[in-house]
Amino acid sequence: MIEIENLHKHYDSAQGRVEVLKGINLSVESGSITAVVGPSGAGKSTLSHCISLLEKPSSGQILIDGKNLTNLSGKKLRAERRAIGTIFQNSALLRRMTVAENIALPLRNLGVVHEQMTSRVAELLDRVGLLDRANSYPGQLSGGQRQRVGIARALALRPRLLLSDESTSGLDPESTQQVLTLLESLRTDLGLAIILITHEMDVVRHVADNVAQLDGGRIAEYGKLHELVANPSSEAGSKLLPLRAEELPAGFSYSMTVAYLNDRVDPAWISRLGIEHGIRVALLGGSVEAHHDGTLGRVSIGVDGALPERVTQILASWGLRATVEEQVREEVGV
Amino acid sequence: MRLPFESAAVGTDTPWNELLALLLPAYGQTWAMVGIVMALVISIGGLMGIALYNTDRHGLFPRPKVHGVLSWIANMGRSLPFLVLMAAIIPFTKWITGTTIGIAAAAVPMTIAGIPFFARLVQNALNDLPKENLAVGLVTGGSATQIIGSTQIREALPALASAITLNTISMIEYSAIAGTIGAGGIGYLAVTYGYQRFDMNVMLATIVALILTVQIVQFLGDRIAHALARP
Repeated sequence: MIEIENLHKHYDSAQGRVEVLKGINLSVESGSITAVVGPSGAGKSTLSHCISLLEKPSSGQILIDGKNLTNLSGKKLRAERRAIGTIFQNSALLRRMTVAENIALPLRNLGVVHEQMTSRVAELLDRVGLLDRANSYPGQLSGGQRQRVGIARALALRPRLLLSDESTSGLDPESTQQVLTLLESLRTDLGLAIILITHEMDVVRHVADNVAQLDGGRIAEYGKLHELVANPSSEAGSKLLPLRAEELPAGFSYSMTVAYLNDRVDPAWISRLGIEHGIRVALLGGSVEAHHDGTLGRVSIGVDGALPERVTQILASWGLRATVEEQVREEVGV
Repeated sequence: MRLPFESAAVGTDTPWNELLALLLPAYGQTWAMVGIVMALVISIGGLMGIALYNTDRHGLFPRPKVHGVLSWIANMGRSLPFLVLMAAIIPFTKWITGTTIGIAAAAVPMTIAGIPFFARLVQNALNDLPKENLAVGLVTGGSATQIIGSTQIREALPALASAITLNTISMIEYSAIAGTIGAGGIGYLAVTYGYQRFDMNVMLATIVALILTVQIVQFLGDRIAHALARP
């Protein structure tokens, strides 16, 4: 488990002090993936550099399994770094080293003996499905393969935390999928805590358990992916599952947004509203997709034939949360 | 019958069959000079280039002031034309080698001119590496030596081979200029025989020898750089 406590980072320049991180608190359980999202300039890369111990925070601390890793330096820092595996954007492999040599780099830096190194590298190559490419050079691999080598290198020293810094940006959809599938299996099989720093909402929706929305150096929103999507006032939620709903058509009295709260929702809930309760429903927009934790969904509907309170109540009993969006005002008689 | 002044004014060309005896020792001297100088330039200039790169903002130990001083020294060493530098540092050369003529005396200004040049070439070669290499070295637990060795020098080897080739050719050229102060070598031959005695054959032979040498050095350098490059 990794805990980030009250992390601050500022830079002093000629123009004065620039505060980039203003007190970040975040904890990531082992065996879970937390996505850190946010607009550019929100402090994502500074946070990433602090977590990978490339930069020292101005104050606050980062604890891995209770051990404080901030403010270490020299040999101690080098030794403790092994608790954190970092995956870079564009994989950042060394071009003149073979795949096997790239994966062995952390082992060589720590002075692991040759036989152990060879067997560990083979194990890692197998893990990322690239046993046959051990002697290839990065230039001979596809983007997705290179990133899998990057992941193998990050895993070499059996870290407890895997930090992925925009590791899928620039990859084609198929390669992105390969990388995400690999990350999911690492979470489940190795029980790793994974922090995914990304701007790609598709990626977050696919693999994240928790989401932290960073804004102006603070965590503006944090929660389970499911809860954020189901929360109508969540900005992160609406970015994760955008709703481009149509205007309310004539003949319907109001529209509402309906979010899936769990995976026990009856997929036929719209027709049940009509058949069982005689309520007319117009589908205005929405997205529903499968997630390892259940169905994620946000749907906008137009309703006629029942009061909002009643519809909300019915839907709640089916595991759906409804919020009234737009109501046609009663025409005032002349 | 020849007039007494004729040999001095017009000169007699060295016969072709005697040229080799004249050329070979001079050629050997040229390579001795370039060899000694390049050994010093690669070790000292290489270290200086690594220091220039690593004291810069994105380097392993960012030290803006140290970087500024190193950069200033490198620029200073490169701002004087070689002929001027050679003449200007004669007292220093004499202090180091005890003489102002010969191979040793020529090696001093050549080394001084070569070091900042090579340092800049090394710095450029390292600057062309991906910026993430340093972060990779750090997060994989590398020590300073390991990072410089595996993520900097090893990754830049093809560019460094090209830099050594370029620098070697420059030093061959400088060795010819150093010939004017009696350094020996091909340049000395060209000046004393070709220029001062109007010996066209020697002049031609030195020109051909220099052209061939530069072509061969460049060819070998390119081959080595190519062999070091990875797909």
